[in-house]
Amino acid sequence: MELTKNITLGVYLPGKSFIHNLDPRTKIIAATIIIVLLLFSRSYPAFALSALFIAALIIFSGLPAGYVMRGLKPMLPVLAIMWVFQLFLFKDPDAAVYFQWWIFEATEAGLQMGNLIILRVLFLFTITTFLTLTTSVVSLTDGLESMLKPLQAIGLPSQELVMTLVIALRFVLILAEELEKIIKAQMARGVAFDRGNFIQKTRKIFPVFLPLFIGAFKRAEELIVAMDARSYTGGKGRTKMKTLHMGRVDLGAAALMIIYSGLLIYIITTTEPMI
Amino acid sequence: MRKLIETIDLTYHYRSGTKDEVKALDSVSMNVFQGEILAVTGQNGSGKSTLARHFNALLTPSRGEVFVKGLSTSEKNNVKEIRKIVGMVFQNPDNQLVSSIVEEDIAFGPENLGLPQAEIIERVDWALRTLNLESLRREAPHNLSEGQKQQVAIAGVLAMKPECIVLDEPTAHLDPRGRREVLENVLRLNREEGITIVFLTHFMNEVIHCDRMLVMENGSIKMQGPPVEIFRKSSELKNTGLDIPVASRIAEGLLREGFKIRADIIHTEELIDCLCQLKSST
Repeated sequence: MELTKNITLGVYLPGKSFIHNLDPRTKIIAATIIIVLLLFSRSYPAFALSALFIAALIIFSGLPAGYVMRGLKPMLPVLAIMWVFQLFLFKDPDAAVYFQWWIFEATEAGLQMGNLIILRVLFLFTITTFLTLTTSVVSLTDGLESMLKPLQAIGLPSQELVMTLVIALRFVLILAEELEKIIKAQMARGVAFDRGNFIQKTRKIFPVFLPLFIGAFKRAEELIVAMDARSYTGGKGRTKMKTLHMGRVDLGAAALMIIYSGLLIYIITTTEPMI
Repeated sequence: MRKLIETIDLTYHYRSGTKDEVKALDSVSMNVFQGEILAVTGQNGSGKSTLARHFNALLTPSRGEVFVKGLSTSEKNNVKEIRKIVGMVFQNPDNQLVSSIVEEDIAFGPENLGLPQAEIIERVDWALRTLNLESLRREAPHNLSEGQKQQVAIAGVLAMKPECIVLDEPTAHLDPRGRREVLENVLRLNREEGITIVFLTHFMNEVIHCDRMLVMENGSIKMQGPPVEIFRKSSELKNTGLDIPVASRIAEGLLREGFKIRADIIHTEELIDCLCQLKSST
């Protein structure tokens, strides 16, 4: 039961690559563009190009590729279930039928739909993980804050929202560690999490989350007091240690993104969609 | 000596006004003097944390008053100024670090004060240098040891340049090495930067380094004075559920057995010296 080892979302691995040094706004915008384009991708060549592009980014960043992908492991069962659902439940009267049993029908359309959804989720996950791995939460939120600033004019409390996000991200890992401790404590008292059928297993999970939530609320209260003691009174009147500057690397990144987007849009529009 | 913090007849009730009201502090009158290291001890639930939280207006008295440099903590307009004067470090470092990068967490306080950018950078550098944390500058807190995390928390408070730092059992979660490092740094801040320290602890080996100690029980002050004097009244101290340092306990035992040894030993080094003298004189 090593939960924390598998959590990569929200973790930042410091480094010196040009991707690490990009302005967070550049990275946020780039990630958004990649994600939007992914949602329009419907063909294998399009995914292949994105895969190449993301692989190149990971190599440039100097991050261990295994670490980036490790976070996927806990998601695999969920993905498998999603895939099976799509396979059997996606109906298309024109598609070839592979397999039929009672009311279930595995069609080619279902298979392609399953693949499409899995690919999208995999890419979404990888790109967001990659963003947080190469961007400290602080610069990420600095970027968000500066991008959301114009919305303050229409009454959006952008600084406070961003601070909430900062803290939520910092506590992901702490809560995962706590969850692991609770599970181990219950295992030590004889709870066998890996035994029993699906319902029995699920039932064993509830007593794990109750202490986790109580612990989380306690932490939240302590954190509020600590922030209060350090004179936090909301976004008003705050200054920042770091101000954001876009530089030559950002220009380079923009050029790279334009090339990638252009290529991908070309592929999306010219290749045969999976479904 | 000048008073930095003064409490007058301070009484505090938790859940005030409801039927399960709990009196946590009962008419506490005490002072924290400028430049001293004050240890506040007492068992869990003795009210020491509650008292400490009055020092920078995290709590305000149900009755009585608390003054920080003459400013009443009950006055809302004073709170900002008071928190600049008195900083606070808590027991669990994980629950007080805001940011996922050390230097940016240290900048959190100065940023809240609305300082200009250059000054924030200067203060963060200074705090890191003063606590010898420069090598951890770009680290993520979750990669640090508990002791290092606590040092970062102290640096975060230090960067606000307070005149007084209140530490609420900062060593309770730490291993012996982490405890020693935190204590050494705190003592150094007092010695070299002249920062007044209020140190809450129940480790008597930490208390012996302080100038003065308070012993709390059931929400009021049972004893106060220099540690040497308090530890001589060992039976009275034990009644409050606390113990005396190992060196004092050994000296006390030897004294009872008829050995000629000083009664005011609190440090291990003192004990060793006295024992050596005792040996060479016989």
